[in-house]
Amino acid sequence: MSLSLLEGSLLAFVLCCAVGAALLKDTLASVMAFAAYSLGISIIWLVLQAPDVGLTEAAVGAGIMTILFLLALANTVTPDADSLFESVRWRTVALVGAFVLVMAATVPSLPAIGDPTAPVVGGEVTQYYLEHAYKETQVHNAVTAVLAAYRGFDTLGEAVVVFSAGVVALSVLRREVFA
Amino acid sequence: MSADERPGLYVESTIIMTTVRVVAPFVLTFALFIMFHGADSPGGGFQGGVIAGSVVMMLAFAFGIDSTRQWLDVRVVAALASGGVLVFVGIGLGTMALGGQFLQYNEYLPYYSKASKYGIELVELGIGGIVASVAIGLFFLLAAGFGHAAREAER
Repeated sequence: MSLSLLEGSLLAFVLCCAVGAALLKDTLASVMAFAAYSLGISIIWLVLQAPDVGLTEAAVGAGIMTILFLLALANTVTPDADSLFESVRWRTVALVGAFVLVMAATVPSLPAIGDPTAPVVGGEVTQYYLEHAYKETQVHNAVTAVLAAYRGFDTLGEAVVVFSAGVVALSVLRREVFA
Repeated sequence: MSADERPGLYVESTIIMTTVRVVAPFVLTFALFIMFHGADSPGGGFQGGVIAGSVVMMLAFAFGIDSTRQWLDVRVVAALASGGVLVFVGIGLGTMALGGQFLQYNEYLPYYSKASKYGIELVELGIGGIVASVAIGLFFLLAAGFGHAAREAER
């Protein structure tokens, strides 16, 4: 597997941000590192030609989540950090390292990016969607066709989950949110 | 950031207010573009809804959270959320009323030739309404306690 310079530097950036978000002691700095991580991931999605996912990651992960984290942070009192980084517990590092190793062990069995013989590309379902999406749903974006037409019922479920989560959060906390 | 600074965190700035006033209509247009054009390009209701919700956050950033909350009518936000669900369910059940399956858009074809496309776009718009209003609601919910912790720490 070969990485272009852009992909390599993006991956390094994302990795640094992730480690920074985990290790930085100041919560504000941690939230900022997390936002930068989300932004890096969304650019990686774009590079990997998944703009729909990239757009979601940029809007939700880097945008709204950061704002909500910052608001939550403004509502709490955080002690002033005496050092830049959290103290590292080696047992945790060993556990996380082992988990990363297990995950990394599955990487070689994944098909290469853009491999035309990958099972998901040659699969019957994928080919059906790609061939029939425009004829049957009149939309060019196959992702939207699957989301709103072929899997419309699932999407209704997702939308209702978002709706009821919002309603529940607003009613459980019983705050006068709006004047 | 020390505790006694927090309650007055909002700073009125002409630059930010002017910038937001100019940029906000474009961001809202972009959000609607993402929602509508999700049928033919990357995007859709979920992404566009979040961007539309961020317009309100931008206004709160420029004009203060409390004044934005007073300016925004709660009925509009509630109507957006429940209206989105109703539009989605209505389109889905409409096809069943015409004898098809749930969300089988081509049942509308006898009435309108682009029925599938516009059905999908209406569904995306409904999703956008839900997501935008829930994002706005969560934002104000978290911001409602703004400064409370700091005030309690002083006691």
